[in-house]
Amino acid sequence: MAQTIAEKLLTRNNLKGEEVRAGDFLEARIDGAMCHYHASEPMHDMAIEAGFENGLPEVWDRDRIFVLLDHHQPTLSQKLADENALVRREVERLGIRCFHDSEPGIAHQMMLDYGLVRPGELVVGNDSHTLGYGAINAGATGITRADMLYVLLFGELWFQVPHSVKIHLNGTQPDYPIAKDIILQLAGLYGEDFAQGMSIEYAGSLVPQLSIDSRVCLSTHGVELGAKFAMFPADATTESFVKSRTGKPYEPLAADTGAEYAREIILDVDELPFVVAKPHQFGNIAPVDEVLGTRIHQAQIGSCANGHYEDIEIAARVLKKNKVAKGVRFIISPASQQVYLQCLKAGLIETLIEGGAQVITPGCGICQPRVGFLSDREVCITATTRNFRGRKGSQSAEIYLGGPLTVAAAAVAGEIVNPKEVLRGL
Amino acid sequence: MGFNLKQVIRGRVWKFGDSIETDAINPYYRYPTMEELKLHTMEVYRPEFPREVKTGDILVAGRNFGCGSSRPGLVLREVGIAAIIAESVARLFLRNSISRAIPIFVAPGISSLINDGDQLEVDYPRGIVSNPQNGSSVALRKYPAAIEEIFECGGLPQFAYERYQRKRALAKSNVMKEDGKNG
Repeated sequence: MAQTIAEKLLTRNNLKGEEVRAGDFLEARIDGAMCHYHASEPMHDMAIEAGFENGLPEVWDRDRIFVLLDHHQPTLSQKLADENALVRREVERLGIRCFHDSEPGIAHQMMLDYGLVRPGELVVGNDSHTLGYGAINAGATGITRADMLYVLLFGELWFQVPHSVKIHLNGTQPDYPIAKDIILQLAGLYGEDFAQGMSIEYAGSLVPQLSIDSRVCLSTHGVELGAKFAMFPADATTESFVKSRTGKPYEPLAADTGAEYAREIILDVDELPFVVAKPHQFGNIAPVDEVLGTRIHQAQIGSCANGHYEDIEIAARVLKKNKVAKGVRFIISPASQQVYLQCLKAGLIETLIEGGAQVITPGCGICQPRVGFLSDREVCITATTRNFRGRKGSQSAEIYLGGPLTVAAAAVAGEIVNPKEVLRGL
Repeated sequence: MGFNLKQVIRGRVWKFGDSIETDAINPYYRYPTMEELKLHTMEVYRPEFPREVKTGDILVAGRNFGCGSSRPGLVLREVGIAAIIAESVARLFLRNSISRAIPIFVAPGISSLINDGDQLEVDYPRGIVSNPQNGSSVALRKYPAAIEEIFECGGLPQFAYERYQRKRALAKSNVMKEDGKNG
């Protein structure tokens, strides 16, 4: 039978060795497990609660588990420092070899930067945005901390084989990133749960033109549409990205001709307007033209979805010719030290600072109530992942999600504008 | 503690809409301890919920319940929620609830079956959720046997513990057999 990418992946990793179809339940062999700051729970607290006397007694494979202390770097309280210290002790005790400890940055970006994930692998992480590795054709998905305990011990986990939705993106890549506008538009058109529990496969004429950065944005946000996987085909762009980071062999996944899809969607990006998600849901989409003139107090670019080089580069391009508006805090957080370094070497950081932006330490804080809190009734436009009520402090603050260009344009105008106005001056 | 799927659950309904998100269920950045969380869960949607929810109440929700991050909904069990029934559940929230043996059921049509404050009856063995006020009911989705076993066991960490103990016992008995042969 012709198979989708998800069917092929889970057939390949099925412990029983049998072919599986959408809807089947199975126990799958895990190729890689990413643990971020919550690692102390499955390794220690939860293991003790389950009956293991001194924490998890062992791990299934010391080379397939990657621990990256991302959310809490540098730590903002002693409580968090204590949690990190516990993870350090447990990693040492269990003999886990890949441990990124004193390095700020987002775990997902570091997994990609350092070649810890490869095309065709089944990779799980105890974070909802683990789907992002689908950008390089990895079958990656978020699992829970309790699932992670099971994975750490046995290297296996139960799954239901997802149905698949094929999203054809057609058109031409402009000279600025549009991935965020694409994913927001999809949520607006089809609802923020249209891919619930499903596997998204991206296809279409835009795909070969998309950078890895843009693919990561689209795959990461699969979870905001409810998806289990969000995968791109492995092409020349994938190969050059992966081979420059790891020499380990891999076997990419491609769907068979005639594979069955629960749904197929076609989006022409040439017709795509600039859009935002209004407060307080990802799927609350409006074209920027409907919210023009909305006064903003804070603008942000960062996160696993938009803390990439191309997101920061477009902001620098805008700030080369414009200054951040008075009364606006423009905060930029590169996704990792490697991305930060790349921006630094390209001169972007200098431009951003001269233009009035604040560049902060890489990490997840920008997307959470960790860094850059909002006061009552303040308005923030942000190229990060979520705009839930209270996510940045005050419950009465309003958070709009937009692409990095839309955010940078708002930062210099002091209000939401159509980025076309700024583009004309670049 | 395990959850007995064979028991029928009856309780008063707290009804919520679509896309109830994890930051609102579990706002742990703001309230880092369970005691604090219990005073604030779901207040974004209904400020009276943490004050007035009683042990044995049932939470009914629309589509996409628990969307957002991988945060678990343990606080709902801590405030006394006996079961969660939704039109659909975000996959990570569903996994979280299964892996911690929190009774959660998908029952399309539930939103129009019941009103806030009504009594609701959840009969997993028969596969129905019913409104005792008027006798109407909708079907709930049954889980495959392997998932039922996780519920009965008390969650995936406990399930892992038992499997590990069996594996150890088996390895030990194999060693003893080997020793017997060699001796």
